[in-house]
Amino acid sequence: MKRDFWVIGLVSLLQGVVLGQLGFFDVQRLGKGLLNLGRFAGEMVPPDMGVLPVAGKALLETVQMSFAGTVLGFLVSLPLSILGTRRLFPEPVPALARLIAAAVRTIPVLLWAIIFVILVGLGPLAGTLGIAVYTVGYLAKIYAELFEGTDPEVLEAVRGVGASRLHLVRFVVLPEGANALVAQLLFMLEYNIRASSVLGFVGAGGIGFVMQVYLQTLDYQRLATLLLLILAVVLVMDGISGWLRKRFLLASH
Amino acid sequence: MRNGKVALRTEGVWFAYREPDWILKDVSLACSLRNVMMIMGPSGSGKTTLLKVMAGILRPQRGKVEVLGIEIQRGVSRGLRPAIGYIPQQLGLVRSLTALENVLIGALSRISPGRGLLGLFPGHEVEQARAAMDLMGIGHKAREKVFRLSGGERQRVAIARTLLQHPRLVLADEFVSDLDLPRAAEILTLMRQVAEQEDITFVMNMHEVQLVQEFGDQVLMVSNGQVLHECSAQEVNLDRFTEVVQ
Ligand SMILES: Nc1ncnc2c1ncn2[C@@H]1O[C@H](COP(=O)(O)OP(=O)(O)O)[C@@H](O)[C@H]1O
Ligand SMILES: [Mg+2]
Repeated sequence: MKRDFWVIGLVSLLQGVVLGQLGFFDVQRLGKGLLNLGRFAGEMVPPDMGVLPVAGKALLETVQMSFAGTVLGFLVSLPLSILGTRRLFPEPVPALARLIAAAVRTIPVLLWAIIFVILVGLGPLAGTLGIAVYTVGYLAKIYAELFEGTDPEVLEAVRGVGASRLHLVRFVVLPEGANALVAQLLFMLEYNIRASSVLGFVGAGGIGFVMQVYLQTLDYQRLATLLLLILAVVLVMDGISGWLRKRFLLASH
Repeated sequence: MRNGKVALRTEGVWFAYREPDWILKDVSLACSLRNVMMIMGPSGSGKTTLLKVMAGILRPQRGKVEVLGIEIQRGVSRGLRPAIGYIPQQLGLVRSLTALENVLIGALSRISPGRGLLGLFPGHEVEQARAAMDLMGIGHKAREKVFRLSGGERQRVAIARTLLQHPRLVLADEFVSDLDLPRAAEILTLMRQVAEQEDITFVMNMHEVQLVQEFGDQVLMVSNGQVLHECSAQEVNLDRFTEVVQ
């Protein structure tokens, strides 16, 4: 009890110091920001629906990039995460696989997009590759942890019948992890749709490019339409994945 | 002993998960072909460890383990692997697969890697799997996912899977101890039947004295990682057991 009190006190103090350093106690600045936010919001209404055709097309590209990138990343992350499972492979194989995933994860998705713009030029191809690589880094880690949790007794029993390592993956590791595998994939897809809407800022395709133009020309009414569209897509995605989860994942356990 | 030939033999086996905490201390035993050997002993005495050493899953630091005349203390060759069936205490079934798929896993050592990965089992293997399930009385549950099956049905799936690997020796870890006596007796009757038909030697860890007497040939009593007593199943009684264990 007494120790909890000290820990909570210390954490609060630290948080206070950090907030101060970040300018959170600068009342004047915060007040001005609040005022600007009001003005900004005011200039957004009414949203300019005239840009719907342009925005819709850009949004479609964003969604395509997210889907293709997520699927590509998923396909690469599967073998990488299997190599990263200590229950299946002896060191140093898992350590190496995890190191690759960690290295990939270090670089944020926006930076990956910039790298691919340099490598393959402007446009959605760069964005798709950026999303794919980022997805590999994230899913490979999550999946390796998931596979690591496979019941060792089941692995032992199936290994005991004379099954090969690939058979273990096919008949134990993947089926036992299937639900969590799909759940994480859906989560990743939702995340990528949100994340990919800013990739256009660096010329990697999608709705971000249009967004940036409207931001720079202070065209807030058009920007508002874009944001509403993204919101709609995110909500639809949430709905679809929620339905999938209920329909398939919960039903099987 | 009904047959002089030895299916399983250990000589001076010592095993520790972390030396020098010896879990098995100088274990020597022999089990004849087609016998049913029951291993009794208090919890924590090393029965599971002993079974895993005899299945070639754990490697003893010292001593010799011989299965069907082949030494396995340094590992089991791919060829011998299917001949040794091992049924762990929790059965080791893949819960998210169907009963039939679990049974077919027993045939994996005979299937080419490509077909195996695609789950394309040859027709005669599927027939064999269904026959094994019929024998175990669970033919009607073939398409059911394992997590939907009852405890007794799961035991039967586990045996059917082991039968499909065409074992000569089956090591089963307390695997009827979760069932009530009549049900356990039913399954053990089946196992004895199979043992005789298919020439299989059974070794199992078992608590229940009644079942040991009824279904065992040979009995081994272990305590604290050592073999304390060996006798025939008829000689076993509860007094003898508690006396030995204390
Ligand atoms: N994986 C393991 N690592 C370390 N110690 C273990 C492990 N498995 C079992 N033991 C220990 O070995 C001893 C014997 O266990 P076990 O063979 O499971 O006995 P039994 O099956 O007779 O109950 C116990 O003291 C247990 O704590
Ligand atoms: Mg045990």
